[in-house]
Amino acid sequence: MNKILLFVLVVGLLTVQGCKKEKRLTIAVGGAPSEVEYLERLIGEFEKETGIHVVLRRQPTDTDQRRQELVIALKARERDPDLFLMDVIWVPQFAASGWLEPLDDYARESGVELSSFFRGVVENVDRYDGKLIALPLYVDGGLLYYRKDLLEKFGFSPPSTWDELVRQARKIQKEVRKKNPSFYGFVWQGAQYEGLVCNFLEFAASMGGGLTDSLGRLTIDRPENIRALQFMRDLINRYRISPPNTYTEMREEEVRLFFQRGDALFERNWPYAWKLHQADDSPVRGKVGMSLLPSSTGGRHVSTLGGWHVGISRFADRKKEAWELLKFLVSKEIQKRLLFDLGWNPGRRDVYGDPEVLKEVPQAAVLQSIFEKAIPRPVLPFYTRISEILQKYLNSALSGDMEPDDALKSAQKEAEVVFSLYEKR
Amino acid sequence: MKRGNLCSPASGEALPFILPVILFMLLLVALPVIGTFINSLFRDVPFLEKRFVGFGNFARLFKDPGFRESLLFTALFLLISVSLEMVLGTLFALTMNEKSRLTTLLRVAVLLPWVIPVAVGARIWQLIYNYDYGLLNSIIVLFGGTPVNWLGSPGLALFSVILADVWKTTPFVALIVLTGLKAIPEEVYEQARIDGTNLFNRFFLITFPILRPVFTVALLFRTIDALRVFDVIYVLTGGGPGGSTTSISLFAYRYFLLGDFGLGSASSVVLFLIALSLSVLYLRAARFKEAIS
Repeated sequence: MNKILLFVLVVGLLTVQGCKKEKRLTIAVGGAPSEVEYLERLIGEFEKETGIHVVLRRQPTDTDQRRQELVIALKARERDPDLFLMDVIWVPQFAASGWLEPLDDYARESGVELSSFFRGVVENVDRYDGKLIALPLYVDGGLLYYRKDLLEKFGFSPPSTWDELVRQARKIQKEVRKKNPSFYGFVWQGAQYEGLVCNFLEFAASMGGGLTDSLGRLTIDRPENIRALQFMRDLINRYRISPPNTYTEMREEEVRLFFQRGDALFERNWPYAWKLHQADDSPVRGKVGMSLLPSSTGGRHVSTLGGWHVGISRFADRKKEAWELLKFLVSKEIQKRLLFDLGWNPGRRDVYGDPEVLKEVPQAAVLQSIFEKAIPRPVLPFYTRISEILQKYLNSALSGDMEPDDALKSAQKEAEVVFSLYEKR
Repeated sequence: MKRGNLCSPASGEALPFILPVILFMLLLVALPVIGTFINSLFRDVPFLEKRFVGFGNFARLFKDPGFRESLLFTALFLLISVSLEMVLGTLFALTMNEKSRLTTLLRVAVLLPWVIPVAVGARIWQLIYNYDYGLLNSIIVLFGGTPVNWLGSPGLALFSVILADVWKTTPFVALIVLTGLKAIPEEVYEQARIDGTNLFNRFFLITFPILRPVFTVALLFRTIDALRVFDVIYVLTGGGPGGSTTSISLFAYRYFLLGDFGLGSASSVVLFLIALSLSVLYLRAARFKEAIS
């Protein structure tokens, strides 16, 4: 009797487990704990609204580890997670590997207007080989923060060219140093990591350079790029307006804290820093302005496009429901709330013109113009390998180990080898 | 009763007892190693067609200046940090073995770094090395010097990483040597003292020879650990500046992240072969077999 009971129990449990495994919709979400908790609440609302049960798989905070987790799951063709967030630079790798479900049909059937999103973002990032494979959860772009109070005091307006920036920074740095010896003119990201490449791309593109030409060929060692790298080095060694630890320690947070302590006049950073600079305990609260990054004389104002995208796994077992969740996350209503509550900038253009947004987020117009012009990093499935090479040589040039032209020539040579290895043949 | 030798082949009656362990090892150790080796013979990149390339990945590795640099760095790191750890660890162990009230305090102080997780320890060192507000530079400035960019140049970064690692793992060596010391009977030293040997001779004629297997174990563990060093560097320098502090593990990790499982596996295989040959070399040199039987 007992044995039969046990048997029934075991079989029952197994079926229940089995069913659960079959039917769950899983989303992989990572980032700062507060962000994950916020998304958890949002997804709770989605569950109530639609009746679709969602399992939230928490990922590590570290970006590399998040990527590693996804690569392993997708390489093994696992059915979970059904959908996930991707850093903008992973999208080409995931797409080229055939891991992302084409979304064109879903979008057409449910009437999602692609024209509501930033065109450059959708065309450069979310479309691969002509197919729509993701949509932006939020976008990012480099911009210039400045100390309103100091510029006013010295009778300057925010710099529009790099020359102006250098001039203003040297003048004000000299004066402020009399009271605050640790004051610097301009802080930016120069440590050996992805952020360095983003900064370099902005300097280079604003001077007419770039990493690839119109045919997609690598042009790392072109003269404009060498000039840009020389300029970055000059900021540290010649003009001395950027601190000497720029190339060892300066990442986003170090730069933000430096500026927020009141120790810098200009700061290159992502939009997230705005909210923190304006926080109650911030020493620079109310003294900060935001503008496009400067250009060279007559050049373009350029930002590197960052941000995160949502895609659906090709191996997902609940693709329809996954699309519902994706649609929910990129909807205007939710994108507005993400902007207000987390400071995430919508990939939808239509949010920026919204009257409520214009009232709550006075810098929305500046932000919109940044994202309209933001340029992507090279769209290559092996971009991260190219980036590592760049990080290494850019950093060597900043530290003075190599001359800018040698550094970029070596980077070009090494990158070409990588190109020939991974190009489709 | 017949006394079994640790190194003699398993006799019939012992086999059933060892079998589970052998199976376990096969499953958890041998299989992944073989799998990695097989992987290393393929071009295994998700966005390209999978293809057998023989030893092509290894050829690519040794042509890669980044890999050569990581081999050199790992060798330097291993040599310097392990030597320092062995010497310092032994000194600490000898001091801790003395009977005094101070040694209790010393034991706690020495073992503390070992208790802290590696990544946390590395974060602490990152704060110490920080250019702006780090402890080291604050001290230097206090005495009127100019701040040093501790992680800023290849030489200094190597030094900084080694210092952090020595701080972290010397306790391990100290602990192992201390257990060895505890096992040496007091009478041996007493006898030596009666015979009039000095401190120096006592160490080199008695302690060292008796402890040789213990030293070998400590050295072996530390060598293999240092060979595959990852976390300290990942946190502290990320492999920079340039590629100057990229260990072999970090190098392999980068390729796995990119999705190039073939090349990542190949670098892991190279690491494995180096570790294996060093282990065999050590055990031979220390005549480990005779020492423990």
